[in-house]
Amino acid sequence: MDLTLQRIGHRYGGMPVLQDISLRIPAGEILCVIGPSGCGKSTLLRLIGGLERPDEGEVLQLGDAPEGCLNPLTYVFQDFALLPWRTVEGNISLVLEDHGIRGKAARAVIADVLARTKLSDFRAALPRQLSGGMKQRVAIARALAVNPAVMLLDEPLSALDAQTRELLMEDLVALWERQRFTGVYVTHNLTEAVRLGHRIAVLSRRPGRLREVIAVNRPIADRRAGDSDLDALQARLWDLMKQEALAADQELLDA
Amino acid sequence: MPERARPVPFRGGGFAPVAKRGTGIAVFALLLALIEWGTRAGWISNLTLPVPSDVAATLAGMARSGALWTHLAPSLVRLAVGSLIGVSAGIAVGVMIGLFSYVRAGLVPLVAAIFPIPKIALLPLFVIWFGIDEASKYALIALGTFTPTVVATYGAVDNVDRSLVRMGQSFGLKWSSIVRKIVLPGALPGILSGLRVSLAIGIILLVAAEMLGAEHGIGAYILQAGSLYDLERLFAGVVILSVLGVLTSWVIGRAERRLLRWRG
Amino acid sequence: MTDLTRRGALALAGGAAALPILGRPALADTKLTVGALRFTSHAASFVAFERGYFSDEGLDVEFRFFQAAQPMAVAIASGDADYAVTAISGGLISLAEKGAARVIAGALSEEKGIDGQKILASDAAFQSGLTSPAQLDGKSFGITQAGSSFHYMGARIAEAEGATLTFKPLQKVGAIIGALKSGQIDAWSIVPHIAKPLAGSGAVHIIGNVADYLPGYQVTTVFTSEANATGQRARTEAFLRAFARGADDFNAALVDRTAGEAASEDMVRLIHKYVYADRPYEKAAPSIINGAMRINANGALNKGSVMDQLDWFKSEGLIKDSVTFDTLVDSSYVKMV
Repeated sequence: MDLTLQRIGHRYGGMPVLQDISLRIPAGEILCVIGPSGCGKSTLLRLIGGLERPDEGEVLQLGDAPEGCLNPLTYVFQDFALLPWRTVEGNISLVLEDHGIRGKAARAVIADVLARTKLSDFRAALPRQLSGGMKQRVAIARALAVNPAVMLLDEPLSALDAQTRELLMEDLVALWERQRFTGVYVTHNLTEAVRLGHRIAVLSRRPGRLREVIAVNRPIADRRAGDSDLDALQARLWDLMKQEALAADQELLDA
Repeated sequence: MPERARPVPFRGGGFAPVAKRGTGIAVFALLLALIEWGTRAGWISNLTLPVPSDVAATLAGMARSGALWTHLAPSLVRLAVGSLIGVSAGIAVGVMIGLFSYVRAGLVPLVAAIFPIPKIALLPLFVIWFGIDEASKYALIALGTFTPTVVATYGAVDNVDRSLVRMGQSFGLKWSSIVRKIVLPGALPGILSGLRVSLAIGIILLVAAEMLGAEHGIGAYILQAGSLYDLERLFAGVVILSVLGVLTSWVIGRAERRLLRWRG
Repeated sequence: MTDLTRRGALALAGGAAALPILGRPALADTKLTVGALRFTSHAASFVAFERGYFSDEGLDVEFRFFQAAQPMAVAIASGDADYAVTAISGGLISLAEKGAARVIAGALSEEKGIDGQKILASDAAFQSGLTSPAQLDGKSFGITQAGSSFHYMGARIAEAEGATLTFKPLQKVGAIIGALKSGQIDAWSIVPHIAKPLAGSGAVHIIGNVADYLPGYQVTTVFTSEANATGQRARTEAFLRAFARGADDFNAALVDRTAGEAASEDMVRLIHKYVYADRPYEKAAPSIINGAMRINANGALNKGSVMDQLDWFKSEGLIKDSVTFDTLVDSSYVKMV
């Protein structure tokens, strides 16, 4: 299932936040979206997943979601969004219950996704007992449980420290290798973008416009920290963004 | 020559209250002992305070004669029925206000208008509406516990993390599932702490409710003792109400520990 | 000021303002606070004040008005009022037992042949057969509080009729009237100036007289603090003298009607300054005249009635058994009848 964005525009209280964005997100590919803070990256993601309606343009879905897909467009949030009163298992079963998957079937799905995210030993733990990295792995396991056609990741690693981030990036790569999901990955971290993106969309400062879409040719599994071509790409992205970021930093938030 | 070495002066500490076991009880016991001494020695007049041991004897006498139960049973029933009606209606209305904009716009001003009315002032009206027997007493306690419960509940619903609700929507959960599995459990801590206030108000209103037409009940007992200027009985009744307050607070504390284990 | 008399020394000991002791009257400019309710039954004090009987005794009286008898008794105990008139209630007896208050004279009393307190039935109860106190069995009876005079009257009437009553404490006279009018309670007893207008409205019916059950009932008494009763003898006697003159005028004008029409109208006008002052005179006058019950001459106290009340309070467990007539009453001031 592919997604196509056609001339998307959006405003908050009369203030344009996104303008004229057209993008194609082919199946099995991860698209990273970067841009200075306040450029509307997260808004774009909410528009793609149908949590908000765009003021202009439309988001189209081409083809049907694959068989067994419970929730075609599935989010992973920056703040994890785990229910603190449910255990790891309970948080995953939450998204299955409404699809009528209970009991044995649910246990099988939960065991599978926990194994894939290396959480099998923490089935009965409550969120408050988990580290930030583990919480995000639970959120990813929950997303995997509904067998999504497209994963919408909203700065999923931003709340984590650098080492945990590195480990989780490797986990995400392994997960993609195993099952090639379609992903839209919003981040302000350029390292994540060059490590995880098949293509990288660069947005301008507010109102966010599409400045450039850069393809990264090296296979995701082969990318490592310190690769010289990735470093060069990261430097180029930073050049693209630097002026925008500086200017964005000088703006009043509600001017 | 090296300079004289000396430890850095400590400037932290304080401003962090620690539970000191038994202090409360010690203060309480000391106060009682002081009053006992004062009333016996006579420097506290018998019009000012009763002798604490006489109050204890009155309580013991009540327990022995069965009068304690005669008065406690109807009061407990009134408190239970009244606050059950008030609290459950309050939670229902509070959740509705929290969820629906029209209900909020329509009812929040109404609740704000009802909240500060001294419910005691409405008692004669309630007697006409609901009769002089139990129904008017239930109604008074129910109304008194209703408003604080509504305010606490919709506040609690408002404070439920919206990102959790968005998460539920992003996974395609049904509206009813989001309310049942995300909004209500998320609002529970606020609802429970509101319950503490509501039930304390319920106990206060018990005395008011028993002003009109109650032959038995702790409130009626206190009022009667007051009109007879019988300080021992007055204080015995007050002690029973205090114990009732401590007990309800303890029960809610237990419920919180059970239901909100996830908070750690 | 070296020659202190015994009287002056007592006054000082009592904590009152130092009195000038020379000249007549002996108690010139003694300040007093008298507690009162705005009822016709308190008229003796109003008359004594308006006609200068208090000033004749050298008493500078200031009234302090209350909404109910109970807080007035507490005000006497706390020293916020010096003398007051109220019904004998459990609260008053308890205060006497604690050494805070003493009854010193009689005031209002029931007397056969004089219109006294009435027994009332609600319209609903009346329609279903409660037409005389004989049918009171199983009915509800309004009282302000347990141990109030209403409670005593209801209990004694029920006893005489062999009836069982449910007493409904409603705290205030106003609340009882509301409950009786709306049929929430079946019966009540009250002074005539309240009973008659109520019955006139048709919502309530008079079914009997309290005097038939409690002849000579000592409804209200004059009381004061223990300190005044024992330590301020001269002042208390002076107060009672003035009070008795007021009572005589009142009885002559409105109860016995021996003073003539003009005197009785004068009396009503005088009382109207205090009672029903918010109503025009024409409307207030009948109520005031209706409320005229005998105020004991010379403050005489009906000992038998007081004893009967004490016995009843004891039998109900409302007061301690150790309370005696002398705990409550200082009988050194007036005649006991």
